[in-house]
Amino acid sequence: MFLTRRLSSKVILQVILTIMVVPYLFPLVAMVQESLSGQGWGNYQAVWAVGVVPEFFRNSAIIAGGVIIIVYCLTMLAAYGFSKLHIRGREIYFWMMLTALTLPEVVLLTPLFSTAIKLGLYNTYFSVMLPLAALQIPFCVLLTRNFVNGIPDELFDAARVDGASVTRIFWHVILPLTRPIAAAIIIFTLIGAWNDYLLPLVFLQSPTSETITLLPSYFVSQFSDDQTKVAAATVITAIPEIVAYLCLQRFFERGLTAGALK
Amino acid sequence: MSSVGPGTVSLEREPGPAARHAVPKRRGKGPRRPSGLPWIFPAFAFVVGLVYYCVAYTGYISTLNWDGVSPTPQQVGLANYTTLFHDPVFWDAIRHTIYFFIVTFCVQTALGFTFAAILHSRVKLPNLYKVIIFVPVVIAPATMAPIFRQVFSATGQFNSVLQDIGLGSLAHPWLAQSSTALPVIMAITIWNFTGVTFILYFAAITQIDSEMLEAARIDGANAFHLLTRIVWPNVRGTTIALAMLSVIGALKTFDVPYLVTIGGPNYATEFLGTFIYRISIPQAQVGYGAAISIMLLIFALAGALAFAVRGTRRS
Repeated sequence: MFLTRRLSSKVILQVILTIMVVPYLFPLVAMVQESLSGQGWGNYQAVWAVGVVPEFFRNSAIIAGGVIIIVYCLTMLAAYGFSKLHIRGREIYFWMMLTALTLPEVVLLTPLFSTAIKLGLYNTYFSVMLPLAALQIPFCVLLTRNFVNGIPDELFDAARVDGASVTRIFWHVILPLTRPIAAAIIIFTLIGAWNDYLLPLVFLQSPTSETITLLPSYFVSQFSDDQTKVAAATVITAIPEIVAYLCLQRFFERGLTAGALK
Repeated sequence: MSSVGPGTVSLEREPGPAARHAVPKRRGKGPRRPSGLPWIFPAFAFVVGLVYYCVAYTGYISTLNWDGVSPTPQQVGLANYTTLFHDPVFWDAIRHTIYFFIVTFCVQTALGFTFAAILHSRVKLPNLYKVIIFVPVVIAPATMAPIFRQVFSATGQFNSVLQDIGLGSLAHPWLAQSSTALPVIMAITIWNFTGVTFILYFAAITQIDSEMLEAARIDGANAFHLLTRIVWPNVRGTTIALAMLSVIGALKTFDVPYLVTIGGPNYATEFLGTFIYRISIPQAQVGYGAAISIMLLIFALAGALAFAVRGTRRS
């Protein structure tokens, strides 16, 4: 944007940028510093020694995995139906689903709570997975439908003239061609499910089912006032998220921009 | 998924006989498309079933005086709503939501756009800066909350930094004071969300026709004019999308105020989300909580509708 040719303005731009990112780095530095004060690495050993960390991770992984599977399957089917098949009153169905996009999950709390207890789902993964998936699907269908709209109709007509059934077209045309948007959906759903706090807070009540977003509160009660150990627990929780982002950087960014770009 | 109408499918197999089946009033070109209903049914039934069922149920609960477990809830009609409109905390929560939206949206937009513009210039190590701005997006707000409590406490790192740069007189317990607790909540949200704003603007700027920029440059436009007259108007769609995300985000705000300040001190950081949670779960006034939920729902739908109407009118 700024085509700087002079060295001085280049340096100034670089300095401004560096000063601007300092506040973004600051909490992370403070976190690591805090986790290493007092007993140093001993904080990490103490946190690890409690032994629940892998369990919390496993729970988060199961929930995120489950949500991703539900969202992916239902989204792909629905996007194909909405985009390339005949549905009378299609936009009505579509907008009925899209209104769920604006829905804050806290609104669902009480009905979900009493329903989950009635159905015996309280304190199970399903009580978190199902509402999370239901709230993620509308946006994913919106993205995928737009993407599938971009695939030319002639391709589908040709496949049908050649004798391919609707199901075969789904398997051999839709699924392979939607891979870029599928990656975006998976990452998007992963961030949403992994970082969700409210539903696990209300529905999961034992360390055998709680997710990593509940880990800090767990350690706050475990170590009461020992901030350094809580910070160590936070670092342990954050590292896999940061590593996952660094490894899949392109997918993360594509996942977030997919909705805004054509 | 083999349940897709076998009749329809077999008809498409033979283009010849299919013609006899072609409904004249449908568009003339191409074979008739099979029905998509079975395909959208699972997602539609799941989402609409769960969400609409819950909303209807919430609406019903909002007319009850109920603790959530007693087998005999008491019908009170619209009494919960009357109480709600006279509850100062409710209006506080709405005021906080509006301030929160205005401040976070403006600051995020300004920062995200500036970062995107600078990183589109030739700076060294662009990816390092990108990563630093984006990492807060992937860390759960719930995970970072205890750290922020510590950073902004009376003896926290933020105050020590202020002292180090000679602004020690400003140091105070940021979260314990009503006047500064809400700005801190906003700052945390901005920290958390600027990465998204930045990535969206960065991508939007990439899509601007480079010939247009080049032409403006040849005509003598300086960097500032280029940004305000060409780039900014061209990323308008992104700005509107971000405004919508911010409205929804402000209405959904829960994790940060709940975990960092528990809505306090003295309701100074109470939002609709934390209000509903506090009333419904710890205080077990489920009926009252449901009434607030219904109000929140109405705001969310109104907000979304306003943007949808604006969006369609523009295009």
